[in-house]
Amino acid sequence: MSETVFAQQWLGKATSSRARFLGYLTAVAVIVTLPLVFNDTYWRTNLTVCAINVLLAIGLDFILGYAGQLNLGHSAFYGLGAYVSTLLIVKLAVPFWLAFVAGVAFAGLAGTFLSLFAVRLRGHYLAIASLGFAVIVHQILLNWISLTQGPLGIYGIAPPPALVVDGTVIADFRNLTAFFYLVAGFALLSFLLLSQLVRSPVGETLTAIREDEVSAASLGINAAAWKVFAFGVGSAIAGAAGCFYASFVGTLVPDAFFITEAFNILAMVIVGGMGTLIGPVFGAVLLTILPEVLRGLGDLRLVVYGAALTFVVLFIPGGMAQAANAVGERLWRRRSA
Amino acid sequence: MSATADGAAGEPLLRTQELQKNFGGVKAVSEISFDVPMGAIFAVIGPNGAGKSTLINLISGVYRPDAGSLSFDGVDLSTMPAHLRVRFGIARTFQKIRLFRQLTALDNVIAGFHVHHKIPAWQYLVHGAAFTADRRRCRDQAMQLLEFVGMSGRAHVPAGSLSYGEQRMLELARALATKPRLLLIDEPAAGLNAAEVDGLLDRIRSLRHGGTTVILVEHNMDLVMNVADRIMVMEYGRRLFEGTPAEVQKNPAVIAAYLGGELL
Repeated sequence: MSETVFAQQWLGKATSSRARFLGYLTAVAVIVTLPLVFNDTYWRTNLTVCAINVLLAIGLDFILGYAGQLNLGHSAFYGLGAYVSTLLIVKLAVPFWLAFVAGVAFAGLAGTFLSLFAVRLRGHYLAIASLGFAVIVHQILLNWISLTQGPLGIYGIAPPPALVVDGTVIADFRNLTAFFYLVAGFALLSFLLLSQLVRSPVGETLTAIREDEVSAASLGINAAAWKVFAFGVGSAIAGAAGCFYASFVGTLVPDAFFITEAFNILAMVIVGGMGTLIGPVFGAVLLTILPEVLRGLGDLRLVVYGAALTFVVLFIPGGMAQAANAVGERLWRRRSA
Repeated sequence: MSATADGAAGEPLLRTQELQKNFGGVKAVSEISFDVPMGAIFAVIGPNGAGKSTLINLISGVYRPDAGSLSFDGVDLSTMPAHLRVRFGIARTFQKIRLFRQLTALDNVIAGFHVHHKIPAWQYLVHGAAFTADRRRCRDQAMQLLEFVGMSGRAHVPAGSLSYGEQRMLELARALATKPRLLLIDEPAAGLNAAEVDGLLDRIRSLRHGGTTVILVEHNMDLVMNVADRIMVMEYGRRLFEGTPAEVQKNPAVIAAYLGGELL
């Protein structure tokens, strides 16, 4: 018990508003510096993939870590955002940012729609329903050939239009660094807004639902409505990630949004630490970079990757956030002793 | 008999009529009708399986009645979901403790303010003055409630790490955070020692002085005799008798069915 109290005290210190401000300042500095340090195409590409995965992970964490809804179909919302925005751009020549808004809205509505039915389900049943939804979405993308071109894919998707002010190009998104700044900036903004939300009464409400729905209802909490809300927000963020992915890679195939992708995102959230927002950020970065770093090992890298995952789940179930807390707590105790 | 229990003076706060709830072939609650006057401490007693907790679940909205009706301050509750009843002023504790075990005692109580936040929607994303004021108010009031139940020193302990008696008191504080007009307390003394029971009774009495109406479900006869204005005795889902503590103690049917040798 006393250990938890120590952890709480330490966390209390670490999350004071000044510490948070410094944290965001550091994040901005890191985002600005990264593409300057990693200056080859390969790593700059990975950086943007990291930023996209961070979006996916914090969106899923909002649903899973805060509202406690076991969503195994996050890849579906990712894919819907990507395909809806791309099809609007390619087929109807809709301007990029308008298509972006439409993709985000569509993914968010799909999440809302799914959860309207799924709120009655809990645990395993919700997991199966959301997984089923992801399979259906993948099958539609694969088989509605007249619309999506199925497994042939959509090629030559343009990056977002350059940001031009008074005839001067501020940012040309054909440039990898500019694209990274765009996605990382959006991810940072999403993180900031989600963080504000979970530190408001909304965070308490979602946590209450996660812990005990009957108890939550006895405090006036409409659990069904809040679960739909969490799904809507989390899937909309996945939709944004999808829009960025399509315009970044320039190619869309349904298999990018197969259910294995949902499990990848889930692994990022778990390895990072569910129910903290910062954990899944690091989880996403680690699980994006690790396979690349291990590429030299050939097929062995999958073994190492799998072993690392198993290790985390078995020995640090709270993920990297828990590990960081344990270290911080120890430091705090030493300092106050 | 206390003056506050004078139900004839006005409309009762809670009225149930022919309330019924079946589980398969078992009539857990059958044809239960009673009025709870405003400001009263109304106790429901009966042996295990008499349907007391089912009755609490019907009033709080966990279950819907199969037949009959219940109204609160003139509002029909029969089909109203549990979370809405809280907004009308009904709160409860649970017989089997249901705290948010991973949250601190303080955060458990703060979660109880759900229906009382006064924050403009946009300030949920951009925390402004109204947000900060609301946070501070919730925190202060939560600390006051913890103090009321004698737990201000345990505010930052996770609920799951508290002792059994402390968990019961924390459930009471959390329910009070919803600012109820009617508080349903389900077997609060279960698992408490004598001193803790005394502390609990003091709190229930001071709640009534603050204007809260209380329905107290209890297994322990001695406890309710001390504190209740009216007592309803249940057996096998039915109402056996209803009256003042003195009347209950004298009633031959109650003595035969429930009190038995305890008083004789």
